[in-house]
Amino acid sequence: MSIKFSGEFITPRSPDEVYEFLSDPSKFGPLLPDFESMTLQDTTHFTVKVRVGVGNIRGTAEIKMELAEASRPQRALYKGQGTAVGSQITISAGFDLLPLPESTRVAWQGEANVFGKLASMAGGMLEPVGRKNIQKLIDGLRWALTMPVAEGAVGEAVRSPLTETPAQSVPLSVPSYESQPAAAGQSPQSLTEDDVHEGHDGNLNP
Amino acid sequence: MATSTHSKASGWVGRSLKRKEDARLIRGKGKFVDDIKLLGMFHLVFVRSPFAHAKITGVDVSAAEALPGVVCTLTGLEISRLIDPFFEIGPSPSNKILDYPMAVDRARYQGEPIAAVVAESPAIAEDAAELVRVDYEPLDAVIDSEVAATDTTILHDAMGTNVVWNGIFEYGEVEEAFAKAAHIIHIDHLHMHRFSSTPLENNAVIAQWDDNDQRLYFWSNNSFPTIGIQLLAPALHLRMDQVRVQTHDIGGSFGIKITNYPQMAVCALASRKANGAPIKWAETRSEHMVSSAHGNERTFRDTCVALDNDGVILAVDSRHIDDCGAYPRYEPLGCVIWSQVTPATYRLKNLRIDFTQVVTNKCPVGPNRGYSRMQHLWFLERVLDICSHELNIPADEMRLRNYIRPEEFPYTTPNGCIYDSGNYPGMLKLAKELIGWDEWQAERTKAQADGRWFGIGIGTTLDSGTNNFGQSQIVNPQAPFSGNSQAANAKLDIYGEVIVAVGSVPQGQGHETTVSQVVADILNIRPEMVNVRVGFDTERNVHTGHSGTYASQFVVSGLSAVNGAVQQLKAEMRKLAAFALQASEGELDFGVGKQGPEIRVRGSEKAVPYIGLANLANVNTAVVPEELRSLTLNCRYTWRAPFKVPDVQKKYGNLTLTYSSQLHIAVIEIDKQTYIPKILDYAAVDDCGHVINPMIVAGQVHGATAHGIGAALMERCAYDENGNMLSSTFSDYTPITAVNMPNVKYGNIETPSPHSYSGAKGMGEGGGAPLHCISAALQDALYAEGLIIDDSHNNASTLFELIQKKRRGELDLNVKVERDAVH
Repeated sequence: MSIKFSGEFITPRSPDEVYEFLSDPSKFGPLLPDFESMTLQDTTHFTVKVRVGVGNIRGTAEIKMELAEASRPQRALYKGQGTAVGSQITISAGFDLLPLPESTRVAWQGEANVFGKLASMAGGMLEPVGRKNIQKLIDGLRWALTMPVAEGAVGEAVRSPLTETPAQSVPLSVPSYESQPAAAGQSPQSLTEDDVHEGHDGNLNP
Repeated sequence: MATSTHSKASGWVGRSLKRKEDARLIRGKGKFVDDIKLLGMFHLVFVRSPFAHAKITGVDVSAAEALPGVVCTLTGLEISRLIDPFFEIGPSPSNKILDYPMAVDRARYQGEPIAAVVAESPAIAEDAAELVRVDYEPLDAVIDSEVAATDTTILHDAMGTNVVWNGIFEYGEVEEAFAKAAHIIHIDHLHMHRFSSTPLENNAVIAQWDDNDQRLYFWSNNSFPTIGIQLLAPALHLRMDQVRVQTHDIGGSFGIKITNYPQMAVCALASRKANGAPIKWAETRSEHMVSSAHGNERTFRDTCVALDNDGVILAVDSRHIDDCGAYPRYEPLGCVIWSQVTPATYRLKNLRIDFTQVVTNKCPVGPNRGYSRMQHLWFLERVLDICSHELNIPADEMRLRNYIRPEEFPYTTPNGCIYDSGNYPGMLKLAKELIGWDEWQAERTKAQADGRWFGIGIGTTLDSGTNNFGQSQIVNPQAPFSGNSQAANAKLDIYGEVIVAVGSVPQGQGHETTVSQVVADILNIRPEMVNVRVGFDTERNVHTGHSGTYASQFVVSGLSAVNGAVQQLKAEMRKLAAFALQASEGELDFGVGKQGPEIRVRGSEKAVPYIGLANLANVNTAVVPEELRSLTLNCRYTWRAPFKVPDVQKKYGNLTLTYSSQLHIAVIEIDKQTYIPKILDYAAVDDCGHVINPMIVAGQVHGATAHGIGAALMERCAYDENGNMLSSTFSDYTPITAVNMPNVKYGNIETPSPHSYSGAKGMGEGGGAPLHCISAALQDALYAEGLIIDDSHNNASTLFELIQKKRRGELDLNVKVERDAVH
């Protein structure tokens, strides 16, 4: 069961700003629909848990994602493979950035393949649900790219009106993790996968 | 002296007795495998491949094994080190396939078992199965049989090709027939779709390895257990005698449950690993739909038909590609079984079929109802109807010109099969009366003139029964199978009860009832006085290597064995009664007296009840004279069919003993707005020779009709391009129900078979007549649109696509007519 998708939108951000956002798994990952949690292995590999399903056929998918291509500032491509509900899912999502006067055209394309129980039992409904979820992702991305930078809002979870789960806060000029305020009693430290743990609500800050 | 006579029991054969089985089944008192609860029993769940084709690069069961309540696990790799692969029926190279009960390093169909988890409860086993981590490397899935035949992607490296078998069946003078034909018609493409039988009860098995007596015990619903054991025991390194198989009530099989022996093997190994605990596997419906067994899908290519001026078919030349799914298993027997009905019901003498069978990344097939013959019969009915339309000969007339005539029976087909009896014109006449042919023809003329899509279709078909396993040697000369046989045992038990056991495995056919009727007639008692053992048990030793229930043969093979056993018993009873009553054997009558079943001296009060005879044979043996002490009143009889091994070079010989026939007529209108085809009227005529129980036969005919209508209009095993089976639930694979079923006008004729002792012919599978007549009716409705029905499955969606493609000019020309052949 193969679902292909594509489209484009224009954002007031520059290609560099958009690329910066897209190529950062810690920013891109939480935009995935029905996001539950995320574990970073390194700067290009991460594992996300998202809720998937159709009707009563539901479960949590664990998808290993990779930033497979990253060509600043033109292109970012993510690939993923995971399991859920007795099924295997493969995903690819690519973004091509075209500079425009004071804006950027973001052309997105991708494909999701589903093998197994989900395809067998819910095959007819997968495509409309899949398209709806892709649209959620794109809408979340557009919203994230149009939100203004908020002073002191670094690290605060911001609820997107377009997604059901709190989205990553928006500031594109987010300081490096080393400079984030440390929790009481802790010294500042680099964000490692230990900082992203089960049941995280999408807020990547401690 | 007053004389008394027996209250004479009337003849029971031929009467519509209520079924003995129904008393328990309707009350929910049947015993099915899943009803069986054994002490210390655990439950097995399979981890199945989501991919149709993928390398398995790792299986990690540690998380599953750590879950409380999990007893053990098994993987395909583990199993491959414990057992041998199953014996392959086919010749080289298909006999090189390594068929293990679970995938070892490659998954070849969606749903193929990769690992098994055994736990204290089904729920724990399900949860644990989700924790098994399998790493896959997806491979390209091969879904189309013609693509598979190109060997671009090989499914079984050991075989080196996807072609399981290929052979050319040529009979008569094909070239000469084409040379002198008045008409030659080319049909590019026909396709019989993949569907299955959806029995009410899914596959289930309980296995227990007993280390004390070194025996393996199965409780299963396998419907051909003797072949199952022949495949299982060698793989498990066991002697045949070490394996006991029991069946009891089975909720339908239709051939699908013949190939559940791989799951039986896994349960056996799991029991051994679990220290001899009984292990139960009960299949879910979605497992059944995706991964049990489907019917053969077949494509018919490049068909050329030669006809004379009157529309009589002189020759057919065609290429057939059969899709057996990922593993052959019972195949390639289907590559020859179709030839039991080579000319269908027609006097076709010149034929060439180039037959190929391939593997694809789909569920393996099983010998589904009508196995292999239905596909061929549909093909020839399509050929006839297409030619009938092209030559503008009415469908009924076309058939009458081509039918084998009643006076020609027994009829020898071009490949040496002997059709025992039949009356196809008589069946057509009756079917036309039942449906009101003339009235519907008038309605059709008016409707078609009004532009409505209204059609009438005829389907004539055969149900060949009691097959000669020697045909396996046509596909593989080394195959160690031939003939056919069945065993039965009849005895008087110690208290004189009549007990009969037979090696059949009924799944709803009413064997207990029909056996009781036959035995009651022989002994002149009542059917309720006959006790028929339910189900099958190897321990009863009432079976042969052919025993099971399949291939429409019970009434011939099973009842012939029963007849033989009871006749032997009767002869012994007569001898013993003569001694007991001090009379000659010729003076004795069998019947029912005041004390129950007895043997009486004709014209006197002297009688001995069955308990008296049983007493002499079993517990009071010293009073019996020496010359009668060999009488046991416990008689086993093996019936063997009078077959010879076919000529494997010429592919010639008698392959089946009896030929039931069916003729169905359907009246259909397709709604021009919704494209939904609606059956307006339906008639079904059956000829299964001498009928044992008309009610049971009528039930079988209605069941086969329902199944065929469902397949024609509602049921299809649909796959996407990646090999996902899309119709895995009853929401998408919609078996026919009483709501969709038309009222069937049913009739029957009897042309007794000279090849069975009772004149009865095996029936039950049906020959797919609904598929034939519905395809015909749809084509009749759409012929004015320039459309040919070339697929066996048609619903609103497919008809819409077909008609729209035609209107857009996108439909390839499927049929070409050469009006003038070269002379």
